[in-house]
Amino acid sequence: MDNFLSTLSKEDSLTYELSMLYKQWGYKEYRMAKFEEYSFYSDNRDFLSSKGILAFNNSDGRLMALKPDITLSIVKNAKLSDSLTKLYYNESVFRMSDSSMDYKEIKQTGVEILGKIDEYLISEVIMLAAKSLKTVDKDFVLSVSHMAFIPSLLDELKISENAKQNIVSFVQSKNTHDLISTCEKFGVDAGKTALLAKLAGVNGKIEEVLPELKELACNDGMKKACDELEFIATSLKKSSFADKLYIDLSVVNNIKYYNGIIFQGYVEKAPNAILSGGQYDKLAGKLRENTQAIGFALYLDNLNFYYKKKRDFDSDILILFDSNDRSVSLLSLVESFVEKGFSVRVEHQIPEGYKAKTVYSFENGALREVL
Amino acid sequence: MLNIALPKGRLGDKVYELFASIGYDCSEIYSDNRKLVFENKENGIRYLLVKPSDVAIYIAHGAADIGVVGKDILDEGDFDIYELLDLGLGKCNMCVAAPNDYKEDFDRPLRVATKFVNIAKNYYISINREIEIIKLNGSIEIAPILGLSDVIVDIVESGKTLEENNLRVYEKIMPISARLIANKSSYKFKGDEINVLIEKLKKELDK
Repeated sequence: MDNFLSTLSKEDSLTYELSMLYKQWGYKEYRMAKFEEYSFYSDNRDFLSSKGILAFNNSDGRLMALKPDITLSIVKNAKLSDSLTKLYYNESVFRMSDSSMDYKEIKQTGVEILGKIDEYLISEVIMLAAKSLKTVDKDFVLSVSHMAFIPSLLDELKISENAKQNIVSFVQSKNTHDLISTCEKFGVDAGKTALLAKLAGVNGKIEEVLPELKELACNDGMKKACDELEFIATSLKKSSFADKLYIDLSVVNNIKYYNGIIFQGYVEKAPNAILSGGQYDKLAGKLRENTQAIGFALYLDNLNFYYKKKRDFDSDILILFDSNDRSVSLLSLVESFVEKGFSVRVEHQIPEGYKAKTVYSFENGALREVL
Repeated sequence: MLNIALPKGRLGDKVYELFASIGYDCSEIYSDNRKLVFENKENGIRYLLVKPSDVAIYIAHGAADIGVVGKDILDEGDFDIYELLDLGLGKCNMCVAAPNDYKEDFDRPLRVATKFVNIAKNYYISINREIEIIKLNGSIEIAPILGLSDVIVDIVESGKTLEENNLRVYEKIMPISARLIANKSSYKFKGDEINVLIEKLKKELDK
């Protein structure tokens, strides 16, 4: 099996390994239809990271959309158990690509928990996010943030939505110079501006940064968030990747949907975050009564590019045979190689550029190695 | 090894001198040749010389870890990167300029000629003014003179080019200067190295 896995592309092997991981942690696979009514996504457009939705009319004239997001669909449609609903998925979403302004199919895998979310479950999801990243690359970083800090502070400011959006983009790019000048321009008081700038710069290993964060925490929400972060840090302390967990408060999500912990994951070879998630009770509560939720998604597209598999050979064995040779022993010979775990290709002649570890020619019922 | 993307040209030269002065020199860069990559293994750096408008693209795709780029280029594109420091070099302003005798006509959409389509669009959206954009690639100043547009949106350094073409600054949109940017993933994995460089830069710039 390991031999087989090593021949798969990064995306395919990850899909398999991650499914195994989530199953072992007791999550059930969730499959869904590719389409959903367009109005559902347009009603929740702010939740979507990509603005374009691929829409079409179905046979009875209703406007349908190819799924741009999985989480929304799961929260709306999943059958809830009376306790916790723990799901994982491997699906495609259809989004506008930033670079080509064209629609793109993006492979996504992820987990969601619906029900009553507590600190244990938050730690479990963080643990699974870290393990998922580790499956992609042992060099990874999981940046954890909390909605109680910058998003809540911004929510309290009495400035226009547009101005808030501006400030969010400065926070996300760790741009404190423009953050400060913009806050001044919009008349945000100096104390809050300084706190925002300080929080935006908070970045470091979770245990090293927590004391600093506790000092900056100036309201009940922030103090509670520090407790939550401490619970996570302590729970994960013994795991092999405790040093890969960072606090980075420049990770900010939409306050209309998210409420608690939010996080993003990076691996060394990919230039952008490949994992993103968080607690989104507000979205869950909007679609399902009395429901809280947390989850994350891992974007698998592009990983085949950043983790190219170097293949020295197209197959282990190449067997050349002549169609006129009507010997019946060839098929069982091929089968015996395959059963030993080799990959074999049977051909009339060597295909252009084809490389095999060993090339045989099949003549008179026997194999002869071709040098 | 830190990969640093610098814009080819005047700004890039200034930035290189700044970096060299704080210990990130790479004397090879002065040799008169057509190489685009210069490495100093002892300092743990590699400079890549690229077209100014491409710096942010290299950074966003992780082909370089950090780079220096004008704020105009950053705002014109939409890059998922960190903007860590304002270097204060290459200072100028993004402005709306118009002929000296220009009077704005508010009963019709404004015709704007510019290289910076997104910056112009965003600015006029922010003041809720309807516009028609004409994208030009150079010699923008000529557009209002020939009646191609009412105004232009462009970078103004000294104002001399405007003056020579009988134009004046009509509105200031924002100040521009060179910014130090970083790839988000690189900052996660090489954050310590990048922060050391930033601290040294800050000290040098405060002098």
